[in-house]
Amino acid sequence: MHGGSLVRTVRLVSGLILMAFVTCHLANLAIGMQSLAEMEAWREVLTAPWTRSKPVFFLLATAALVHATLGLYAIASRRSLALSTTDVVQLVLGLFTPPLLIAHVIALYMSIRVSPGFADSYGQIQAVYWSFAPSYAFLQLFVVVVVWMHAAIGLYSWLVLKPVWRRIGGFVLPVLFAVPILALLGFAQSGQEVLNRLAADPAWRAAILENVGNIAKATRELGNLQSNAILTWAGLVAVAFGILAARILRARMMPVQVDYDGGIRAMGRHGLSVLEISLLNDVPHAHVCSGRGRCGTCRVRVEAGAPSLSAIDEQERSTLERVGAAGGERLACQARVLGAGVAVTRLLPAFADATAAQAPDEWSAGAAKETA
Amino acid sequence: MVRRRREGNGVNEQSMAEWSAVVLATAKARFVALGADLAQAPTEAQRAYESVYAALMTGTGVRAATYIAILLFVGIAVEWLYWMYAYSPLRAAMAMPMLTPAAALRVGLRRLFLSLSGLLLFTAAAIGVSAAFAWPPHVHELIIAATLLLLVLRLSWISVSVIIAPGRPRLRLRLVPVAQPQARWLAAALMAALALLALGRFLPPVLQDGVAQASHVASALRFIAYSLAMLILFVSAFAFFGGRDVRADVPRAPLFPRSFPLALLVAAVYAVWLMNDRAAAVAAIAAVVIALQIGLRPIVYFYWREDDGALPAIVLSLSRFVVALVGIGAAAVALDTPLATLAEDVGPWVRVGLRLLGVAVLALLAHGVWIAIRSVVDQRLKRIGPIDPHEPPDASSRLLTLLPLLRVTAAVMLLVMLVLCALWALGIEITPLLAGAGVLGIALGFGAQALVRDVIAGIFFLADDAFRVGEYIEGSGNTKGTVERITLRSVALRHHNGPLHFVPYGALGSVRNTSRDWVIDKFNLPLPIEVESETIRKMLKKIGEDMKADPVLGPMTMEPLKGKLYRIDPGVKIFRCKFRCPPGKQFDLRAGALKRIEAALKKMDVQFADGRQTILLQNPA
Ligand code: FES
Repeated sequence: MHGGSLVRTVRLVSGLILMAFVTCHLANLAIGMQSLAEMEAWREVLTAPWTRSKPVFFLLATAALVHATLGLYAIASRRSLALSTTDVVQLVLGLFTPPLLIAHVIALYMSIRVSPGFADSYGQIQAVYWSFAPSYAFLQLFVVVVVWMHAAIGLYSWLVLKPVWRRIGGFVLPVLFAVPILALLGFAQSGQEVLNRLAADPAWRAAILENVGNIAKATRELGNLQSNAILTWAGLVAVAFGILAARILRARMMPVQVDYDGGIRAMGRHGLSVLEISLLNDVPHAHVCSGRGRCGTCRVRVEAGAPSLSAIDEQERSTLERVGAAGGERLACQARVLGAGVAVTRLLPAFADATAAQAPDEWSAGAAKETA
Repeated sequence: MVRRRREGNGVNEQSMAEWSAVVLATAKARFVALGADLAQAPTEAQRAYESVYAALMTGTGVRAATYIAILLFVGIAVEWLYWMYAYSPLRAAMAMPMLTPAAALRVGLRRLFLSLSGLLLFTAAAIGVSAAFAWPPHVHELIIAATLLLLVLRLSWISVSVIIAPGRPRLRLRLVPVAQPQARWLAAALMAALALLALGRFLPPVLQDGVAQASHVASALRFIAYSLAMLILFVSAFAFFGGRDVRADVPRAPLFPRSFPLALLVAAVYAVWLMNDRAAAVAAIAAVVIALQIGLRPIVYFYWREDDGALPAIVLSLSRFVVALVGIGAAAVALDTPLATLAEDVGPWVRVGLRLLGVAVLALLAHGVWIAIRSVVDQRLKRIGPIDPHEPPDASSRLLTLLPLLRVTAAVMLLVMLVLCALWALGIEITPLLAGAGVLGIALGFGAQALVRDVIAGIFFLADDAFRVGEYIEGSGNTKGTVERITLRSVALRHHNGPLHFVPYGALGSVRNTSRDWVIDKFNLPLPIEVESETIRKMLKKIGEDMKADPVLGPMTMEPLKGKLYRIDPGVKIFRCKFRCPPGKQFDLRAGALKRIEAALKKMDVQFADGRQTILLQNPA
């Protein structure tokens, strides 16, 4: 398997693992709509296994690390800023995720260390959020929105290209939004319960207060840890963007040119993919998967200058095969212009949507009819 | 739209003076209050921040935030679902080749519709769901304000991105004549101004009434936001509208730069706002309306070239009308007053202004109708083209007399109606006027009955194309002759004996036109009984072919001469001949035919049948 496609697969898999964990976590919260006790009970099933068993926890941590690293890698290895709105949202949310999660995880970890037994109870954590340190609760809410939107966009743009989406789409999308909504409702419901109990049960309140006092002593250390982690992340992000900027600036000196059907001509930088050149020049060009090489809607027939395009890699070959492309056709998002210039014909109309990836035959037939 | 005044003029003047004094006094008070607000805002802001923070950092605050997150998810989910279906049409619209601005306009409307629907769904979902929750005190208002703020911001962005389309110049999506480097800045400036205005509109009430109770901060914030927005608009007026027409290919005489009136409008609105809030809304709307009226002409001619005929003129005046109407509606909404009671409970200046506005709308409406009529008439006149005085006049000459008359009539009628309506809108009694005009009209109407009948009958003759100059017609009542002249009321017919009849159209009745398309001419040929009919038939046919081949007669022949035995009388065989030709040519053709027949008969040594009859008298003896 070629490097680019391996990276993508690993990123996808790690993302899916993380999403599974987050889903379990949110599902557990959603049970709070029933009662706090139920929530505690289900915790054994839904959340605890992820942290208790060493290998699973290791897998989870690796997935998080790998996913973040590969995200930065993806930024650094971009060749241009030709991004769709969805991609921009996804990217920004992704950049926000690690610092928020770091804060969350470190806070929990410290609490456990300072007063063991504390984090074992949803009730206690909820009490902190709802009564003793609500600022953490705001952070949590923010994390839920950011992380879940990032995950939802990722999952959607992966699944929507698959033929199976036609059958499961109507079911997956509502679930995708029901999960956080129910979780938040559960959060609010159990929070109310905790507040009631705090008022009714002074002993419980005193116990929590003691724990909170312990944690408060460690606040400083906690803050240091958090800000260190966040600064590190910011540095890494800056490095990734710096590499991107350097690449763009360097390539700027070598202009290339692409001729399209319909007599359109566009200029671009050396090393950009044909699709990126289209997008940077406002040439209408279908790109359902945003240039991930999965959908096949961006494919073009190369009319001239085929040798100046980058070689076909494994991912491109398999996508081309799946959509039944003829010889001489390339994925515009994968074929990078390395020579002076090429001439291409866009094969799908610019408004091709996800159905073109799910059922390529229907669209190719239509496109063929149009050209004939 | 404006109720009739009840008070007399004197009262009005006095109240106007009073009202002006009150306005000045309130303005002064406002300035003083504003100064106090600005001075106290910083300390109050500190306090307000603390109290808001304290309110937020409780279970209640967390609950509110949780609900907000839920609203966000619900809104996003609904809009996401919507875009799953709407995204492809949007991209399809944007991928269409935009060859003309008119095509871009169509695409722009489609984009607007698609984006607005998504926005509407988001807002409706968020606000609808928000009603389901039990909110802590003050929070629901906050949520609604935030959602509205979001709505206005997104609405502004949608409008700006559809109309100015700052990015992607190659797609030619732009709907207004703005050059590319300017477009980005103009879009940014507009967005900034709109965002500030929205902020100044939605945030202060929340600050004032919510947990913060910070009225000074609220009004200071409003002042700063509005002032900044106005500053941006003021500067933009000079930055973006000082230049020349974008269409450099059309050389133009230098015009008064549009930047001055625009900047003036901004300044005026700001000044009004400093004095009075409610008036400011109306002033702002009026300013937008005026600015649009200034800008409409170049925008309309951006879509249609000036030689596109009547269309741009009609569109221009229609859009002027629509802009004015929408402006009035918006003003009514801004004043929070039903239109019917508007005249009662606002100051006299506003009332006068509203009445003038009503008159302006009427004028615009009349102008639109006038443009439509005029352009139709002009179009017709242009199609007829100028009349050559040396050519004999034809049907179009009548049209040429009629059309300008029609135009003037329409103009006068419109003007009269406009004046009457305007008087009415200004609150002046017009009933006596109408009554007087009615009596006069009836008197005139009786007298002019015949005239009107003639003119209208004439229009219908014209529409039916019943006759043209030079045609021979017969009307009912023994009027016949060649049409010599067509006037508004009558037609002049030259009888074949010379007299000229002037027949009013009303008296023309059913018209028999003998000069249309073709005529069939028939004549009899009596020959002695001995001749062989077949020989004669062939001879006649031969003559017909000869005539067809003749350089003079040939072109006149539509169906050549033919003849056949028609009747046998005692001693006579009568042959009937016929041919078809254009009207008026039958005499020449018949003469030619007879000449040839005569020669041919002579050659065949056949005499015409003589009238002599042999009477055999039998003697009884
Ligand atoms: S954009 Fe999807 S394969 Fe190229």
